[in-house]
Amino acid sequence: MGYAFMQRAFVSGLVIAVACAMMSCFLIVKGWSLMGDAIAHAVLPGIALAYWAQIPLAIGATLSGLVCASTIGYLSHHSRVKPDTLMGIVFSGMFALGLVLVTHLHSHVHLLHILFGNILGITTADFIETIAIASLCALVLLIKRRDLMALCFDPVHTATLGMANGRMQGMLLVILSLTIVSALKASGIILVIAMLIAPGAIGFLTTKTWDHMLAVAVSSAVLATGLGIVLSYHWDVATAPLIVLIQTGFFLLALFKTHR
Amino acid sequence: MTPRIHLDAVGVTYPNGHMAIDCISATLTGGHICGLIGMNGSGKSTLFKCMMGFLTPTTGHVTINGGAVAQALKHNQVAYVPQADDIDWDFPIIVDDVVMMGRYAHMGPLRIPSAQDRAIVTEALDRVGMTAYRDRQIGALSGGQKKRVFVARALAQGAPIILLDEPFTGVDTTTESTLIDLFQTLRQSGHLIVVSTHNLGSIPAFCDTVMLINQRLLAYGETTETFTRANLEKAFGGMLRHHQIAPTTIHRDSDQRSVTVLTDDERAVVFYGDDDNWDLVETPNSD
Repeated sequence: MGYAFMQRAFVSGLVIAVACAMMSCFLIVKGWSLMGDAIAHAVLPGIALAYWAQIPLAIGATLSGLVCASTIGYLSHHSRVKPDTLMGIVFSGMFALGLVLVTHLHSHVHLLHILFGNILGITTADFIETIAIASLCALVLLIKRRDLMALCFDPVHTATLGMANGRMQGMLLVILSLTIVSALKASGIILVIAMLIAPGAIGFLTTKTWDHMLAVAVSSAVLATGLGIVLSYHWDVATAPLIVLIQTGFFLLALFKTHR
Repeated sequence: MTPRIHLDAVGVTYPNGHMAIDCISATLTGGHICGLIGMNGSGKSTLFKCMMGFLTPTTGHVTINGGAVAQALKHNQVAYVPQADDIDWDFPIIVDDVVMMGRYAHMGPLRIPSAQDRAIVTEALDRVGMTAYRDRQIGALSGGQKKRVFVARALAQGAPIILLDEPFTGVDTTTESTLIDLFQTLRQSGHLIVVSTHNLGSIPAFCDTVMLINQRLLAYGETTETFTRANLEKAFGGMLRHHQIAPTTIHRDSDQRSVTVLTDDERAVVFYGDDDNWDLVETPNSD
């Protein structure tokens, strides 16, 4: 624990856990779990292009995620194909494009690190970027949690209150993309989706009010991440998968506890 | 000022080409309870969504109190009570929090309730008789209780126009009479209440105007003149259960009057008379 890389891993892991856990609550109640998966995959071409164009990866990744979300939104409004089908096509297509770009552009983006994350090897620049983005996301979600909850619960009601549904939904998508970007270095594209679903699902199963759901989601995610980082170091196993395994365990526990 | 909704040749065609409503014109004013009547798929919900700015008509205009809908919403003129099907009843939210959502327009950007907001929520829950259930998760309520919660939210919001989508579907008769009493009180204080329903039997008891639609406007006016057998048959076509009891069954003399019962599984509407002269029969509300 005395090592600098461990401290960095710990701090960034916990901040990411908080942001992802809060986001996961919104995804669960809005029925957007697959959207989280889609955006996580769709950021890859943005990352490759941003590397090639020498702009911050976070900007490329966010734009790429938004392109994915708006393409899905547009297509589902203008075709008979069901949204989940469109989502599957759009995100796997963008993911494939990303893979082609990464190999073609010979970028130094380390594909395995993008796919699976490398929280123990996080650099100082990545560390600062991760903390900044994840805390911004968590803060906005905390401040706007009631409005966004109302939007997820009853969008027609928020419309009659004169609230800007389109803008709030757009904001939720931007924060989702940013949260994914912040978590990429630590957990990777494949496993970030677990961090974006499991905590919210645990909160959903065990509570009956919104604030409690957020609190349970955040604390279970923080606990799983802390345990995962420490244990992965001592057992010498990959960190992100261990975190996800612990979260899955928590989820199963919640499921059996509440199911009876 | 008396609340007023003006529909000017309103039409909605969805992007997939489906025309939901076409060229509906009417003016609805405060101090009335208007029943919006039509079968499933007749465009009732679409028309509602236009009235509350959730949908922009593809043709024509909706104006509220003489101005744009968006403007009216900003001034908290419209409250909405959703259909039970439109709500996720597993949502982690308790009764108190749902009703508090009606107060959002009165709060700051962080939506932190004031003591006044709490008092108004308590009063609204009291008016619909739901105070004892304020800490319940909404999925743990009966159909009637669920509906009362959302009516309480509309009361807490304090808007002069209240739109209710199928408020009596899946609702017990006690709740139905509680709500009808409440609507009548609100009408007396100048509110405009618009109720979409296919519960035909209860309409004459509390709606003073009715609007029948089937994509187009079929009829709109005072209930006594507009809620007729002919108009209902126009609105529902063959979709209603239709029982006619022949004159010879109920009369020993040559009286040609017969009884017609129209129902779509909710409370029935009963007409009595001959071909030219019909009376609406008040039916008791009982299960």
